[in-house]
Amino acid sequence: MWQNINKALVDGVHRVLFGVVDFLPGLVVLVVAFLGAVLVAWVLSRLTRSLLRLIKFDKRVEEIGFSSLADWSPNRSPTLLVGKAVWWLIIAFGLLVGLAGFATDLASKIVVQAIAYLPNVIVGLALLIIGTLLARFLARGALIGAVNMQMRSAQFISVVVKWSVLVITAAMVLDHLRIGGDIVKLTFAILFGGVVLALALVVGLGWKDLISRIGSKPTTEQPKDESSTLHRL
Amino acid sequence: MAEEPTLLPTVLARIASLETADIAIGIPTYNNGETVGHVVEIVQAALCDRLASYRSVIINADAGSTDDTVEKFAGKDLTHSPVVQLTYAVLPGQKLVPLDYEVPDKGRAVKGILRAAQQLQAKACVILAPNLRGLTPAAVGALCRPVLEEKFDFVAPYYKRHKFDGLVTSGLVYPLIRALYGKRIRQPMGGDFAVSGPLVAHYLAQNVWESDKGRVGVDLWMVTEAINKGFKLCQARVGAVSRVFREPAPALSATLAQVLTEIFDLAIRDISVWQRVRGSEEVPLLEAAPDLPLAEVALDPQSSIDSFRLGFKNLQPVWGAVLPPATMLVLKRMGDGPNARFIFPDQAWARTVFDFALGYRLRTMNRDHLLHAFTPLYLAWVASFAGEMRDARPEQAERRFEALCLAFESQKPYLISRWRWPDRFNP
Repeated sequence: MWQNINKALVDGVHRVLFGVVDFLPGLVVLVVAFLGAVLVAWVLSRLTRSLLRLIKFDKRVEEIGFSSLADWSPNRSPTLLVGKAVWWLIIAFGLLVGLAGFATDLASKIVVQAIAYLPNVIVGLALLIIGTLLARFLARGALIGAVNMQMRSAQFISVVVKWSVLVITAAMVLDHLRIGGDIVKLTFAILFGGVVLALALVVGLGWKDLISRIGSKPTTEQPKDESSTLHRL
Repeated sequence: MAEEPTLLPTVLARIASLETADIAIGIPTYNNGETVGHVVEIVQAALCDRLASYRSVIINADAGSTDDTVEKFAGKDLTHSPVVQLTYAVLPGQKLVPLDYEVPDKGRAVKGILRAAQQLQAKACVILAPNLRGLTPAAVGALCRPVLEEKFDFVAPYYKRHKFDGLVTSGLVYPLIRALYGKRIRQPMGGDFAVSGPLVAHYLAQNVWESDKGRVGVDLWMVTEAINKGFKLCQARVGAVSRVFREPAPALSATLAQVLTEIFDLAIRDISVWQRVRGSEEVPLLEAAPDLPLAEVALDPQSSIDSFRLGFKNLQPVWGAVLPPATMLVLKRMGDGPNARFIFPDQAWARTVFDFALGYRLRTMNRDHLLHAFTPLYLAWVASFAGEMRDARPEQAERRFEALCLAFESQKPYLISRWRWPDRFNP
């Protein structure tokens, strides 16, 4: 009996030791990969930032019309944003390498899923950039047009145009990223319906007088503005 | 692409039957049935009377009118002033011309007229708008004679205008073109002018007719080309000639945007020319056509001031992208100050125009946005001018325009400096 107990104990210790021996290299690989990734990420991140500062990336980004990128960047610097992105990409890559040494199946599953999801992220990112640029362009056009039409609410119109485009963009991006599911669509539909209803009310109330004037015959001829007879050229 | 208007065999046959002419008077048209008949009558009166010793031809280039414009010419085909008619097709989009009284794709009409004039070996080719009001036979003679008798190559019109009439030309186009090219042509965008045979041949030899420049900004291009190539220029007083408005008139911002596009594009093209020009030279002013008294017109600056203040409240980020802080400070003072002292200083106005030219060249933002954002600034200048010149006599207003032009000329080094070194600090 003692022999059996002793054998079971030794076997248990062996199994634990074998388990630890099996586990330890993976853990070491994970730690080494992580530390290596941190080191590489630090070097590459600094290198990227130096390079971007050298080519005046922040200024160039603003010049080509991506100035809104600064709003989303740490310290309003797209250079820092790119540096951070490089940092986290390399850290993620290091962790993936570490996990591959630790648990091969888990890592390959993550890699397969990440690769399958990547097109959604790329399309979502492209939509976000295009939507942001379009929102900015249309908002500025609406602002200038409204000012030239001497509308007091020019700023409001511009903000409405901007946020309408941004809301549509956000809904499209979330849909592409498969985040939120039907709730996003429902929320967007409700929001958009509300915006359209509000605009319809604004236009309807604002043009009430105009419509009533069109419907009725003028009793007296309107005096002509003298300056309307002037030529521009 | 639509067919060349001048190469149609029927037109060539018609020109061949006429052999040669001394004067070719071209009238581009598009749905001008209401006004063109009067213009043709005046032209014929001039050709029968003052210019009777010359052989002449009237050339109509029509952009596909749907009214009775073409028929108006058919009934005027007389022995002493036969009519040659050309037609050309324009795309629907080209019919949306922002300028108040333009013919769509006018460059093709002008090219057709010049080709016909060249075929006829005309010594003088006159282009007249189809919707002129106040045109007299004397005015037609005033445009023709300097080319025929005094060997001038380009005769620009000098309209008699009320001080508040044509302010885009007086306050913007004239000072800017004068400062850039160094020639004092009072109406550089006047669509009524005369050119000599050699200048016709020069224009036709240029490779611009299929470009945007040859299509919409042709009047200004013809003037600047004549200046750049050293042709002999003069101006002719044509009296109180004006255009009949086409309703509905395009928005002011659209007109300004088109005018500025034409000038800024030319400035970009001719950089090597105007950087060397300093000051300006007088251009001879010839023949006085009898003037009719002008009707008094009032211009209330209040609505223009309101437009500027609305623009200042909303468009500061847009203006700030092209204007330096010093100019923004001037605008702020104008925006905050009382209406009675609403003055846009000439030098600040000149710098504003120059900075917009630079913004256009550097594409600081979408060009359409940039040019449309200029409108409240122009209205600020209009308000300033209208307030200052409310009770001024015509000659005082003309002296005021002269002072404005000198301010543009004095600020030209600023433009050249910014054009060469746009990144340099500009307070």
